[in-house]
Amino acid sequence: MSSDAPSIEIPLPPKELQREPLVLHHRPLGWISNQIACIAEGPAPKWWWIAFIPSFLIMCVGAAMISYQVSTGVGVWGLMVPVAWAWDITNFVWWIGIGHAGTLISAILCLLRQRWRTSINRAAEAMTIFAVMCAGIFPMFHVGRVWFAYWLFPIPNANGVWPQFRSPLLWDVFAVSTYFTVSLLFWYMGMIPDLATMRDRAKSKLRQIGYGIAALGWTGSNRHWWNYEKAYLLLAGLATPLVLSVHSIVSFDFAVSQVPGWHTTIFPPYFVAGAIFSGFGMVLTLVLPLRAICNLQDVITVRHVELMCKVLLATGSIVGYAYGMEFFIAWYGGNPYELYAFQNRAFGPYWWAYWSMITCNVVSPHFFWFKRFRTNLWFVFAISIVVNIGMWFERFVIIVTSLHRDYLPSNWAYYIPSWVDIWTYIGTMGLFMTFFLLFVRFLPFCNIAEVKVVSEYGDPHHSLGGAKGGH
Amino acid sequence: MKTIPPSCPEPESGQRYWRSLDQLAEAPEFRQWVEREFPAGASELVDPVSRRHFVKLMSASFALGGLGILGAGCRRPEEKILPFGKAAEGYIHGVPQFFATAMPTRGSAIPLLVKSSDGRPTKIEGNPEHPDSNGATDTFAQASILGLYDPDRAKNFVQKGITISREMALDALGNFGKGFVNTRGARLAFLMEQSSSPSRRRLALTMQLKFPEAKWAVYEPLDLHANRRVTGSIPHFKLDQAKVILSLDCDFIGTESDSHCLIRGFARGRRVEKPTDSMNRLYAVEGLMTLTGMNADHRLRVATSHVVAVAAAIAAKIAPQNTQITALVAQTILPSNVKPEWIAECAKDLQANAGASLVLAGHRQPLAVHVIANLLNAALGNVGKTVQYAAVPETTTNSDIAGLVALLNAGQIDTLVILGGNPAYNAPAELKWAQAQSKAKDVVRLGAYEDETFGASAQTTATQTFLQLPQAHYLESWGDAVTRDGTTVPIQPLIAPLFDGLNELEVLARLGDMEINKPHEIVRETFRAAAGTGVFEENWKKFLHDGFLAGAKPGAADRPLSAGEVTQAFASISTPALSKDNLEIVFHRDSRLDDGRWSNNGWLQEFPDPVTKATWDCLILISRKTAAELGVDSTTTNRTTSDLVRLTVTVGGETKSIVGPVWITPGMADNSLGLALGYGRKRSKTGGTGRIGQGVGLYNAYEIRSSSTMNFATGAKLERLGERYNLAVTQEHGSMEGRPIIREANKAQYEKQPAFAKNFDLEAHMEFIPKDEKGRPKGIYEHPYHAYETRKSMNGVSLEGLHMKSDIHQWGMSVDLNQCVGCGACVLACQSENNVPIVGKDQVSRNREMHWLRIDRYFSGAGDKLDAMVDDPQAVHQPMMCQHCENAPCESVCPVNATVHDEEGLNVMAYNRCVGTRYCSNNCAYKVRRFNFLDFNRRSLDQLKGPFYSSPLVGSTEGEWTMKRWWKNPDGAIRPQDEWDILKLVKNPDVTVRMRGVMEKCTLCVQRIEQGKIAQKVKAGQSGDVRVADGAIKTACQQACPAEAIVFGNQLDPNSRVSLLQKSDRNYEVLGFLETRPRVTYLARIRNPNPKMPDYYEIPLNTGEYVKKQTANPYEPHQAHGEGGGEAGGHGAEKKGAH
Repeated sequence: MSSDAPSIEIPLPPKELQREPLVLHHRPLGWISNQIACIAEGPAPKWWWIAFIPSFLIMCVGAAMISYQVSTGVGVWGLMVPVAWAWDITNFVWWIGIGHAGTLISAILCLLRQRWRTSINRAAEAMTIFAVMCAGIFPMFHVGRVWFAYWLFPIPNANGVWPQFRSPLLWDVFAVSTYFTVSLLFWYMGMIPDLATMRDRAKSKLRQIGYGIAALGWTGSNRHWWNYEKAYLLLAGLATPLVLSVHSIVSFDFAVSQVPGWHTTIFPPYFVAGAIFSGFGMVLTLVLPLRAICNLQDVITVRHVELMCKVLLATGSIVGYAYGMEFFIAWYGGNPYELYAFQNRAFGPYWWAYWSMITCNVVSPHFFWFKRFRTNLWFVFAISIVVNIGMWFERFVIIVTSLHRDYLPSNWAYYIPSWVDIWTYIGTMGLFMTFFLLFVRFLPFCNIAEVKVVSEYGDPHHSLGGAKGGH
Repeated sequence: MKTIPPSCPEPESGQRYWRSLDQLAEAPEFRQWVEREFPAGASELVDPVSRRHFVKLMSASFALGGLGILGAGCRRPEEKILPFGKAAEGYIHGVPQFFATAMPTRGSAIPLLVKSSDGRPTKIEGNPEHPDSNGATDTFAQASILGLYDPDRAKNFVQKGITISREMALDALGNFGKGFVNTRGARLAFLMEQSSSPSRRRLALTMQLKFPEAKWAVYEPLDLHANRRVTGSIPHFKLDQAKVILSLDCDFIGTESDSHCLIRGFARGRRVEKPTDSMNRLYAVEGLMTLTGMNADHRLRVATSHVVAVAAAIAAKIAPQNTQITALVAQTILPSNVKPEWIAECAKDLQANAGASLVLAGHRQPLAVHVIANLLNAALGNVGKTVQYAAVPETTTNSDIAGLVALLNAGQIDTLVILGGNPAYNAPAELKWAQAQSKAKDVVRLGAYEDETFGASAQTTATQTFLQLPQAHYLESWGDAVTRDGTTVPIQPLIAPLFDGLNELEVLARLGDMEINKPHEIVRETFRAAAGTGVFEENWKKFLHDGFLAGAKPGAADRPLSAGEVTQAFASISTPALSKDNLEIVFHRDSRLDDGRWSNNGWLQEFPDPVTKATWDCLILISRKTAAELGVDSTTTNRTTSDLVRLTVTVGGETKSIVGPVWITPGMADNSLGLALGYGRKRSKTGGTGRIGQGVGLYNAYEIRSSSTMNFATGAKLERLGERYNLAVTQEHGSMEGRPIIREANKAQYEKQPAFAKNFDLEAHMEFIPKDEKGRPKGIYEHPYHAYETRKSMNGVSLEGLHMKSDIHQWGMSVDLNQCVGCGACVLACQSENNVPIVGKDQVSRNREMHWLRIDRYFSGAGDKLDAMVDDPQAVHQPMMCQHCENAPCESVCPVNATVHDEEGLNVMAYNRCVGTRYCSNNCAYKVRRFNFLDFNRRSLDQLKGPFYSSPLVGSTEGEWTMKRWWKNPDGAIRPQDEWDILKLVKNPDVTVRMRGVMEKCTLCVQRIEQGKIAQKVKAGQSGDVRVADGAIKTACQQACPAEAIVFGNQLDPNSRVSLLQKSDRNYEVLGFLETRPRVTYLARIRNPNPKMPDYYEIPLNTGEYVKKQTANPYEPHQAHGEGGGEAGGHGAEKKGAH
């Protein structure tokens, strides 16, 4: 930058109208590249190994549990009649819900031009991919004969037997696989400029080739950017309805059935809200430690955290409203079976699950009305975990308490998970963490290119913006 | 379904079950062939049978079916089997044959028709031709087929602990017999079980002449024919003739002898087709909650030892002139909870129906109660009308088990012959049978298992010659028996003895050194006397073909008792005051293991007790109040657990105790404990029960049962141990919660409002719900299944040519809840017919039982208070199986189309297509689908005990890595080959054996439907009349049901039984408001209480709960219901009545 260029005075707005910048401390562009890329470069730091080794081991335990289950039978879980779905589908819906935030942040916030999304969208999208993978494990392996699970796909065959297109489980297959595909494309496409950055920064041949292939020959030319932005926008448009559809369809697994407590029309919106709620909870859980460990406080700022807390507050309130409305309709609908199902949730043998859910999902987000709580990062971290626990309980309450006491009292029973149930679930967390840590270790977990755009240096109207200073 | 069409059906009558091969038999070439071939086969049989060899023989054993009826009547004289060198004439592979036989019971028998598939018996049915049978059976008969294929049965002839050959054993028997001739049978004793066999009686009589010094004793741990002790005869109750029935602790619906006949009579007397039909009324006085009490219109709860007081009080009202009864009334004290009006009104009701009433006394009751029952029946003029006494002959005895023990202990018996039974396990405790048995020099023992009596010899083999002979199952040996009406029935084998066993006839004949010593010949010889006129061979053939000897009349044995006998019976009667420190214990015949004889039968172990719904366990039944006083508890919330207690009682001067779990049973008498017999058996190296029965149940009630307290005792104490015990109960919630699942009314309400059952529907109370012309809620979506019925096109698509529904058959089923008594014979019939596996206690406690048909049992009580709810509840039963909904919720949610509708209205499962998402089960409102969680057919019970199930990945079977075995042979991988080989023989070849990960459920016996249709098609020939006649197809549950509660048939035939029943005004659909349109419908239950009784309720208690929760009275006419009542008289007319 040449010093003799005439400087243009841009008067700053009054203090109270100034927005807090999205990148603090006037961090320059190079710093951003360095700070983010260095995590994926150089030897693995100690903290990474400390996190990775246990995650990997837990993932192996999960794999052992699944081998045990497939070789022995679904009976190694605690399932039974009447509770023929329990932890399996609870975990499935829980993981799918978590997988919501990524695409929401990437697509919907992109379309709504919420610039704060840029520093968290990469991690959130990766979280989505891995969460959907974890989710997919459960419906896949919960079937009695997993070796025939492919029959759920409409594959032409000699017998002329097609899947049952009226079954919500089949819709699930389409919804989840579409969501996964689009999310993966979106994630990968959004990463191409950053992969090119990694390639350019790479020292070793191996990394150069690896990132080089992944970067698809990105040169950063104007034409590339033009195509990229267009494609990104199109994908965002494509992904947006998916955010709404995937969890709506997952909710159909329940809403379409006739089980009291499942058969409600409120499920689609309420599931989507719940999913966003849990997704943001998980983003917070992941991002808060990462920003501290990787010294990215200037990129993922307290303002980001606060905004996410507000999303939690909003979606948590929707979820709370839905809980209340379910009860109201159960009473107002006049169906005694329905009414019993809801009374039983709150006061039956699983009361503890219900009230855990209420505490975690309805009560806990309301702390975020206050800035004091929103900005206390330890507190936010704790609540984000509470939200995830609460959302797990929500699915548990919906699935297990509805099934365990339905129409004929002679069928009523109490479900208790087996140790295999528990370790399979923990195992998927290991899988998730393993993949996420590998992602952090080898790929830029913040969007370098887009963070630069929202930094002061990338803002043409800002005094530090490159357009003014001249290069 | 791939089924080879059967041959042209033979005429309906005559040789239906038997294929006469006379012509073939006469052929000289064949004779020659038989004679030449036979020795080779026989020599093989002498060798200790190897498994492999045995299976080879098994597969050949259908020679029995085809060749078996050679020559002299039914079977070749030599009871050996032939390799299937030539196909028997008329034999068609895959087409089952039926043989008439009978299952011997204590002093009676159940006439049977047994299905034989390729030479192995696979299914037990009742013999409908028998004069005292409707073709029904009880639970034990249904399950007995599994006992035939029990790999743990005694297989070896063992002498002094060494396995010997059959021939050596038979020689040894002969030598014994020769030895006695000189001593005239001195120092020889026989111990036998009760049996009605005329052959055994004849053999014993012959031997008693030959060995006059020998002692003969019969011991049964449970004497179900207590009346024999009174008049020497067995009462033959005609319950269908009785209008008022009083049961004095007589569980004739459950655990009395011949209960299947008694249920039939009771249910027939309760049948109502229209509101004006009369029905019987049952009063029950009892201490334990039994099926009879659950079905009673009025039930009086008194301790078992106090029943006599109630009996005396009732008798005093009916026969006030009888001074002996008046004296007995003074001698006994009526329990405080008995209201005098109960006694008075009950007596009045009996008197009002004199000649059409009946008093029954239960086997647990002392002689005095039986005397009272006999007196009452005589006083009411019932004898000859509702009760007849039949002299069923028994083997003559001159001693009893106590006498034998005394002689044994005195060293006066050298040779002890034990035929059947298991006295070391079930003899009265104070006799110490095992010790006494060891004092004999030689013991010859015929036993079905190497059990406790076998084990008792293990320590004494040094000084004693113990000869164990394996006992043949009744399906593999010849015999005869007499049913309760005095009819003689044959017991024919359907298979050569699997383990070369002997039966008691042969042992007796060998010991008696008789010329005729083959059971077949013995039975023929006995029959010769009874056969009557005519050609003997023809009579014999007819006897075997029909399965009974027609025209037999029971000897009249109505012997009036002398005053002295009555006084003697009344003398020792007292009604001790009971308290929590002086508890009464009642030993009861277990609904599953009987006296322990079915201990190794997995079907029975897993059969839920009709009252407690517990499986695989024995409980200490206790009333709510007594439990509260003693501070013990059992719970079904969350996991089913109960308190472990120690029960202490004095037996023959010794203080003994047992430990067991308590179970709070609604309707139990206070201060009374119910103990099941037959549990607490072990398996050890020396002997015991088999792999299934070992370790089932914590206590062995025989340990605290003495000769003087065979049925009940007082003076017991109970203390809490502070530990909890897990139970496997199939129904944890006993209340219907006010839901209209089982709908009932009192007779009076039924008369007033015949279509009351329809008023219970949820939508019946909702006037705003739009209804169709049938009064059903109008759906917003028309199911295509119904669109085809009514429309030519739907959504612009032509439906022409798309016949989804058959216009020949539409199957349906009707279950009459007024007939059903909840005995559960259907459950076991279904299990046997449909290859339903057992899963073991651990899996049942995880709610994974596989029964396709279950019996739901609900209690309801008066008032809100717990005591009133639990202490004197009303109970109802409901068989629940797949309802075959036309709008089946399971079908639309299955992602792979594995459960679909067929054109005849069945909801069918394609097991091969099922991937096991279990969504169908979740969406089934009735939860009748069963999921095979852990490959229950292939795994042994040990492998099904959680929480660590053996995985084929790491386990080994018979020393080989299971995965490798699996690779070589996926079928038998997990189980030892020998176990697998024999257990698969019991499977019905017409029904798939389902693998793991697959959902299964009731198919309405689709295999029987297909067979019936094929037979009809063959019969129809060119005529094209392929509609199956009504009643030609019976489902397994229907066939077994003694109460005739289940009717299956074609709904398209307006005159079929099922169509008529479904048009009945009592007909309703369970959860009909869901618009699932079940094909299985129920007929509402009617109670017949006496309005004058103190425990009369104006409406049934379940309905009371419904009225309170729904705030609607179903007995009042409804405006909203429209034409739902169909032709129901009065309902339509009262349409405008206020709601």
